[in-house]
Amino acid sequence: MFESSDEQLVQKALKGNKNAWYSLLSSYEKAIYNYAIRMTGNSHDAADLMQEIFLSVFNSLASYKGTGSFKAWLFRIAHFRSMDFFRRKRPDLSLDDIGAEQGILESSSSQSVDLNKPLLEASPEQHLQSGQSQQQILSLMQTLPLKQRTVIELKFFSQFTFDEIAGQLDISSNTVKSRLYAALAVLKTKMEVEHGH
Amino acid sequence: MATNSKTLTQAEKETLFYEWLASAHGDAPAFALGDDGSGASSSDKQQLFEQLCIEDKEFAERVEQANYLNLLKETSADAEVPNWQDKVNFPFVEKTPWWQWQGMPAASLCCSVAAILMVLSGFNFKVDEGRLSVGFGDSSPNTNIALLIDQKVQEKLDAQQQANQALLAQYVDTIQQQQLQTSTQLTEYLLTSSRTERREDFAELIKFVNQQRYDDQVFYVRQLNELQTEINMQTGAGFDVVRQVSDIRLDE
Repeated sequence: MFESSDEQLVQKALKGNKNAWYSLLSSYEKAIYNYAIRMTGNSHDAADLMQEIFLSVFNSLASYKGTGSFKAWLFRIAHFRSMDFFRRKRPDLSLDDIGAEQGILESSSSQSVDLNKPLLEASPEQHLQSGQSQQQILSLMQTLPLKQRTVIELKFFSQFTFDEIAGQLDISSNTVKSRLYAALAVLKTKMEVEHGH
Repeated sequence: MATNSKTLTQAEKETLFYEWLASAHGDAPAFALGDDGSGASSSDKQQLFEQLCIEDKEFAERVEQANYLNLLKETSADAEVPNWQDKVNFPFVEKTPWWQWQGMPAASLCCSVAAILMVLSGFNFKVDEGRLSVGFGDSSPNTNIALLIDQKVQEKLDAQQQANQALLAQYVDTIQQQQLQTSTQLTEYLLTSSRTERREDFAELIKFVNQQRYDDQVFYVRQLNELQTEINMQTGAGFDVVRQVSDIRLDE
């Protein structure tokens, strides 16, 4: 009832209020961590990427003018930081080439996300199904080229609209749609190969 | 937009797909009317969409894939965030209290130097009748002469003002005495004239009352005479009696 809005928390954090900043972190760290997991394919890189994202957000906090939602602004920064992350990780490849050749190995590696952590209020069957779903998501996402992966992530998992995604990625809404359409085709092919259809 | 799924262009198919996807994610109502400018109703679009799902394999695969992703999203739980905040130092800018301001020593040094300079240079300031005078060393002679002239002028002005006040007080006393005398005379005159008028009024009143009494007596005499005459006439007494009664005079 008396919770502050994101804009108010940002203003307080800018004035040095640590509680406001950590309140913002608590609100969005789970979303950003899971975004990072789906983008990188493993929990270690995801933790590093999340730290980079929040450090970048902290340093850029003064530039948030409150014109759009804080979540959209946060994910815009997350996108830029994840691009930097992949550039550093694979300096030999362009961003267009990062994707298919990278993912499958990492997603099935021993560093994949720890899905054995107990989930609150979940039965063993739900837990098992949830873990399988999560693993399948990671596996599928890593097969996509980075740009398509980003669009799938923002549209299906972070639940942004096409216009919001276009604003975050600095591309047109039509480009977002065409990337999404192409990504679905890639995923379909991948699933056919895996299931032997 | 064409009404037959087989005549739809690829762009129209994709538009239909995005509309469906947006509604599936709750971003927009399902197949909103006229969104694409085609004039097709939402039920037409719904029908086209279902036809495409049946007849167009590629389209159906896209829809199936999107549904599959939605299903994965719904059935998967988000991973728990590891404890990471303690490992990261966010560079908060701590606001220092004013007494810990870094410029405080320099400011105090400047104030000390200024105080020493003021003492050495004989700095003085004086407040005189609401005027603040600031100077270094002794006051200049010109200032003293002006001050003396001001004092003399002020003394003259004061003396003249006192004389004026004395004259004014004397004038006021004279006027007050005259006013008192005039008031006394007026009072005496008013009392005297009032007394005389009252005496005359009473005399007039007494005269009027006497006249009234005389008229009443005449009236009663006349009444008595008439009564006597009637009595006599009824009793048969002689003219003499009547005469006697009628001879009663007012003096009696």
